[in-house]
Amino acid sequence: MDLVTSVFPWITNGPLIAVQVMSGLSVAMFLFLVSVGMSLIFGVTRIVNLAHGAFYMVGAYLMVTLVEVLPEHMLSFWIALLVAPLGVAALGGLVEIGLLRRIYHRDPLMQLILTFGLILVIGTLVLLVWGPDNKSVARPDALAGSVRIFGQPFPSYYLLVLALAPVVAIGLWLIFYRTRWGTLIRAATVDRDMLGALGVNVAALYTQVFVFGSWLAGVGGALSAPTVAVALGMDGDVLTTAFVVVVIGGLGSFAGSFISALLVGQLQSFGILIFPAISIVLLFAIMAVVLIVRPWGLLGHPEE
Amino acid sequence: MNVARWVGALAAMIIMPLVLPSFVVVVLTEIAIVALFATAFNLLMGYGGMVSFGHAAYFALGAYAAALVVKRGELPMLLGLAAAPVLAAVGALLFGFFIVRLTHTYFAMLSLAFAQIVFTVVFKWTALTGGDNGILNVWPPLWLKSPRAYCYFTLAVAGSAIVAIHAIVNSPFGYALKAIRDNPRRARFIGVNVRRHQLIAFVLSGAFSGLAGGLFAFFNGSVFPDFAFLNKSFEPLVVALLGGVQSFFGPLAGAFGFKILETVIARQWPMYWPLFLGSVVIVVIILLPQGFVGLVERRRWRSRATGR
Amino acid sequence: MRLGLPRSLTGILVSILGGVILTAEGAAAQPKPIRIGEINSYSGVATVYTFPYKEGLALATKEINEAGGVLGRPLEFIHRDDKLKPDEAVKAARELVLQDKVDFLAGCISSGVGLAISAYAKDAKVLYFATHCQTSRLTWDDGHPYVAHTTNNVNQYVRVAARKASTLPIKKWANISPDYEYGHNMWEEFSTYLKKLKPDVQFVHQSWPKLGESDHSSYITALLQSGAEGLFTSLWGAQSIAFVKQARPFGLFDKMRYVAPSVGNPDELDPLGKEAPVGAIATPFAWYDPGLQKLHPKLEPWTKKWIEWAKARGLKDPQPKLGASWGYASAYIIAEAIKRAKSTDTDKVIAVLSEGFDMEFPWGKVIMRGCDQQALPPQWIGIVKFDAQGKPIATEVEETHGKEVVRSCEEVKELRAAAAAKQKK
Repeated sequence: MDLVTSVFPWITNGPLIAVQVMSGLSVAMFLFLVSVGMSLIFGVTRIVNLAHGAFYMVGAYLMVTLVEVLPEHMLSFWIALLVAPLGVAALGGLVEIGLLRRIYHRDPLMQLILTFGLILVIGTLVLLVWGPDNKSVARPDALAGSVRIFGQPFPSYYLLVLALAPVVAIGLWLIFYRTRWGTLIRAATVDRDMLGALGVNVAALYTQVFVFGSWLAGVGGALSAPTVAVALGMDGDVLTTAFVVVVIGGLGSFAGSFISALLVGQLQSFGILIFPAISIVLLFAIMAVVLIVRPWGLLGHPEE
Repeated sequence: MNVARWVGALAAMIIMPLVLPSFVVVVLTEIAIVALFATAFNLLMGYGGMVSFGHAAYFALGAYAAALVVKRGELPMLLGLAAAPVLAAVGALLFGFFIVRLTHTYFAMLSLAFAQIVFTVVFKWTALTGGDNGILNVWPPLWLKSPRAYCYFTLAVAGSAIVAIHAIVNSPFGYALKAIRDNPRRARFIGVNVRRHQLIAFVLSGAFSGLAGGLFAFFNGSVFPDFAFLNKSFEPLVVALLGGVQSFFGPLAGAFGFKILETVIARQWPMYWPLFLGSVVIVVIILLPQGFVGLVERRRWRSRATGR
Repeated sequence: MRLGLPRSLTGILVSILGGVILTAEGAAAQPKPIRIGEINSYSGVATVYTFPYKEGLALATKEINEAGGVLGRPLEFIHRDDKLKPDEAVKAARELVLQDKVDFLAGCISSGVGLAISAYAKDAKVLYFATHCQTSRLTWDDGHPYVAHTTNNVNQYVRVAARKASTLPIKKWANISPDYEYGHNMWEEFSTYLKKLKPDVQFVHQSWPKLGESDHSSYITALLQSGAEGLFTSLWGAQSIAFVKQARPFGLFDKMRYVAPSVGNPDELDPLGKEAPVGAIATPFAWYDPGLQKLHPKLEPWTKKWIEWAKARGLKDPQPKLGASWGYASAYIIAEAIKRAKSTDTDKVIAVLSEGFDMEFPWGKVIMRGCDQQALPPQWIGIVKFDAQGKPIATEVEETHGKEVVRSCEEVKELRAAAAAKQKK
């Protein structure tokens, strides 16, 4: 036991572990928001949207502008939080209708490559519109401080995120399992062709899913803006991690993204403390193992 | 096969480095390297029907093999260059074994994951690879140092390699590969060992990519971890797409076009180059008529409709 | 199987055409100006630093040319983008030397790029002035006559920070730095110098997040547990901002004194706003500090001139950032070296550099040291506080000249010998 505590001094510190678990959970929440959008888009349209990280970034930048532009008021932050993702949803709609629709009959890999081209385009556009300087969104006054968890300070903003998590998860669950639209989505992830054969307007469904997925990415970006620096290049890191989450959870699976986000979030948190040297490789190694052993992920559907 | 065309190309390769100014000769060298990389990549994509998003891994393995042999082993450059495709082939065999079991999107994703692992290992294993400082002062020997000399050398090596790949795709192996690409089930029925052919193609593709990496190491004078990063993986893909994946010399033409565009545009407007590149990729994909992959799609879907 | 050869023939023709065009461009360039090929990162994330730096070069160039140029010839910088990639930088360097026939090379922001260009310069026997990048390896471990460094290196400002740190009643130090060459270089310089000045310090914890990490919460947790009283960091830019924002509500800065060289600069303080780490020790360029302005009377008028220039050139943020001063100084130092050599001949300019010289700038004296061709400018320490308007700035600015802390010429010789031995192995 002594060996363990000398290598991991924090392991006997209960309050710290609690704080660590909770912050890991709130990070997982951001990850879930971005990943579930990507997963859904793939599930229905079979496109891996590499531009998802760029959408997240646009959400964060829109948040910066909205907070700057709106008058100083208690509600400004919340209004911005509501409006910013809508901007991203609009962008998603534009992309889907303007570009992706023209190539649906093509190989999904071509569509994937197109989304890679989008990353470059959106990145430069962001630079042109907002400039190269680092930006930041201040946490709203009510949530700028911290609360005490077992005597340890814990950022109040993360509490918000943790409180929102069940709301978002339940909300999404209700949409997917209790509405007709959600049922259509789930059916599409299992068998698109059959759905079309049953007379559903699959093309419209594609657009809706893409817009919805982009909206989720925008929510992730806007919500996480107060916890990071809003800067060029923030899309790369998010994309990589979201990609890993989606693959492990299963492309197209809502529940899979949730579980995987939790797993990856905690793995990253504790991985850094336990295996600092290889923590980066660890994620990709796990992703590779999943792809080798069970390519459709934990809760995904085997293809064809 | 038009002999006149081959002779013409050979003549051009001999004359150009002589008459063109030094800097253009340098660009020509780079075009040759990229053309080799893209042709090797297309062996897998165009002829094998497998799209890899992690080919930079083999390019990087080749580059680092060459650099390490010359700097740590203190062996001559030619040995380093010989080591490049060997290490890359080993990597391709190791990774390819798992990757070819998957298809399509998952194939691409696993290839990407392995490439990221290679990148991270190269980045972190500072003792061996120098980490993000890279390995510097990897120059060719004096008799190959001048831009003209190294250009001839590269044209010779890359040219021979491309000729070799051409021979491969027109051999019985190549025809079996194309058959697999068009319809794996049918190929299996006529007795072709699908997995083995795909793996061999993967290893060959990786080996030639590694050779390109080795050539690049001496061209650049140094190797860095970002040789294994995602951007590098997309380079042969974009180049091949531009030139046309359905023809053998497509990637070669694409290499010319891409490098010239890059040299002219990225110079003048560096801030806008990613915008331009991204737009070109999008436009090419949307307007690319009858892409080879479109051909494959139709055949595959047709067989699915009847085969299911 | 269609060979598509006509397409490739077209490709060959296009390339010849391209070659002719490129040659024509080169031939049309006039031989009169002194041309410096400047390679830096003008796309993507580094632009926050390189845009003001480029305008600093431009302002200095304009002034130099208006005053008659160098040796009666105008100075001209030709810029190329390295896309933050060392191989692109080498390619650009080659192009500048072979095609544009520049007289000298300059530039870099990323240390990897700087080292790569330096290796090429040594091989091609072209003189390279490293400007914005900071690694001490440039002129020390991997130094050679064909490279000169026109701004300070890591060693100088980190040692000044270590000096300040040694005056604090703190024994237990922790480190959080990005896991790459620059981060390791910084920590090594800081910790060894601090230990030398104050032998009873202990280094109780090390954190090495990857470069560009966005979530540091587990590092923060570990730091809170470490028992450290002081925290050194070489995190910079967006990562530094993210770390501060995340660490503050965990009470990290209440527990330990924060030494963060880059955090005192406006590109980090401004976005942080009311979340700035009050009490942090930084090494900023605090042009607004009244004490500094009194010490250097030319600073305030220069600042005014700069702000006008920046606005005219379309910079979104016209404040005189550190990069701006570096660009400005670099151009002048290059010009001075050529002036003193009375020629653009590479060997003559190297001879001048190896003798060394001093130059006066609005912010103090910069010494170009001969033994390693390394610039030694003044260094500043500042403490982060809010001003009367609630904006975070650096205060209590103290100046120490780089020459007082930098490694001696003998130490540099030892470093070079050790590096050479490792190469031979």
